[in-house]
Amino acid sequence: MEAVANEVQKTVREKRPFTLLTILKNRWFLYAVSMVFFFWLWDFVGERRILGSSLARPHEVLIQLADMVTNPLAGKSLFGHIWASTQRILIGFVIASVVAVPLGLLMALNPYINAVVKPVFDLLKPMPPIAWISISILWFGIGEASKVFIIIIGTFVPCLLNSYNGVRLIEPELYDVVRMLGGNRRQEIINVCFPASFPAIFAGLQISLSIAWTCVLAAELVSARSGLGFVIILGMNLARPALIVGGMVVIAVVAWLTTLLVTALEKLVCPWKREIEGM
Amino acid sequence: MAYEEVKVKKPLALRLLPIASLVFFLGTWQLIVDFEVLPSSMLASPWQVIQLFVVKLTEANPDGAVLARHAWTSIQEAFTGYILSLIVGIPLGLFMGWFVVAEGLARPFFEMIRPIPPIAWIPLTIFWFGIGLAGKVFIIWIAGIVPCVINSYVGVRMTNPTLIQMARTYGATDWQIFTQICIPSALPMVFGALQIALAYCWTNLVGAELLAADTGLGFLITMGRRLARPDMVVLGMISVGLTGAFIGVIIDRVEKRLLAGIRR
Repeated sequence: MEAVANEVQKTVREKRPFTLLTILKNRWFLYAVSMVFFFWLWDFVGERRILGSSLARPHEVLIQLADMVTNPLAGKSLFGHIWASTQRILIGFVIASVVAVPLGLLMALNPYINAVVKPVFDLLKPMPPIAWISISILWFGIGEASKVFIIIIGTFVPCLLNSYNGVRLIEPELYDVVRMLGGNRRQEIINVCFPASFPAIFAGLQISLSIAWTCVLAAELVSARSGLGFVIILGMNLARPALIVGGMVVIAVVAWLTTLLVTALEKLVCPWKREIEGM
Repeated sequence: MAYEEVKVKKPLALRLLPIASLVFFLGTWQLIVDFEVLPSSMLASPWQVIQLFVVKLTEANPDGAVLARHAWTSIQEAFTGYILSLIVGIPLGLFMGWFVVAEGLARPFFEMIRPIPPIAWIPLTIFWFGIGLAGKVFIIWIAGIVPCVINSYVGVRMTNPTLIQMARTYGATDWQIFTQICIPSALPMVFGALQIALAYCWTNLVGAELLAADTGLGFLITMGRRLARPDMVVLGMISVGLTGAFIGVIIDRVEKRLLAGIRR
């Protein structure tokens, strides 16, 4: 059932005859075909050395990953490296969101705070977080602090922007309703601003998580002794493609899992968010 | 006119505060360096950066190129990758949104590539393409293609179903519906992708240049660090920020021009 402009429509599905074409056009069948083709292509390119010896074949990557679980690489097992990167992300992400989200809300609610913070923020905003790597190494050395600093810089911007815009783009009708029902400014903020801006804030957190992954990788590529970025740069320096591709696979899986986690959390915390179909 | 928009003049404090805040920011920065709160090997003052900027306009040493050449290399790389990602990504996303077969075949590929941050491709691309232009363009291409595909896909998917049903009723073919209804209605989303993709491309360009380059703004930053010249690092950062913002404004103008007449 679908409602379009006060009319309720019912979509009736025709029963189609079951033919070969139905199978060929089935979505899941096509997904399977595509996956098989993907791995076949990967294996083929790796086997025939079309790109030189630099692409490891899928089973080599699996062997490499299994090997890393048991035999530590540069003092840490695979899970040690995963945890090293995740830890940096978590620390930076928590610090940035704890500061940036309330600051964004305050900026949207109070014009004076906005007037003070916005110009400086606008000045720093266009610089990509990766451009800060060099200066953070000059400031904090090559230890943990410099990596966490990069992540803070990277995640701060989307967190602040989204909570700021989340409040500013609230439909004015919602305020009108509260005012008409006799609500004061405090009730306006607590009952309208916070719940209405929550989806935007959450979206900001999601964006900043994916930026945090980019940042931590970049920081680890430049200088580190642990973490997934270190694994792939080690693979490059030792000319071991299986290590590089294995590192990339692990990064993809971990980043994907974090996204899933945040999406699940979002459904739990703010179920009133309207969904857009698709990705 | 039913009602007139009344422009409320901002109070004086609100108009002065932004200026005061900027002056305070730059002033503190300058003073921190002048009074050596931070050693001069860690931070350069705004004035030193301006001086270096003037010098770098003509002087190629110590990093091998004048500022304009660094900027030009970066813009060239970013634009090649950006345009390529638009050319591939937007049609792919549009097709994925409308044709089941296209979605079924392309989506698993896309979903497997998507979670990998473009930066993670750097070591492989260095193996594949060396440290020349091609490698960086590849990384930027990967960075830009993701938002292009997602936005055009969602744009087609959000087409008002009533329009599609109406076209069906009048006997339009699948292809006609796609070209005459789905694509125009997806256009605002597609244009939204232009800005997002540009921002992604620019960020990842800096990342690519930090690791493998011999000219470019990212390279300028890296050289500044290696030579322990914080003024060079800050100059590089500011040039990256300014160039990025400038390109963003241009794209915004183009977008407004192209979108004139299309309802958002």
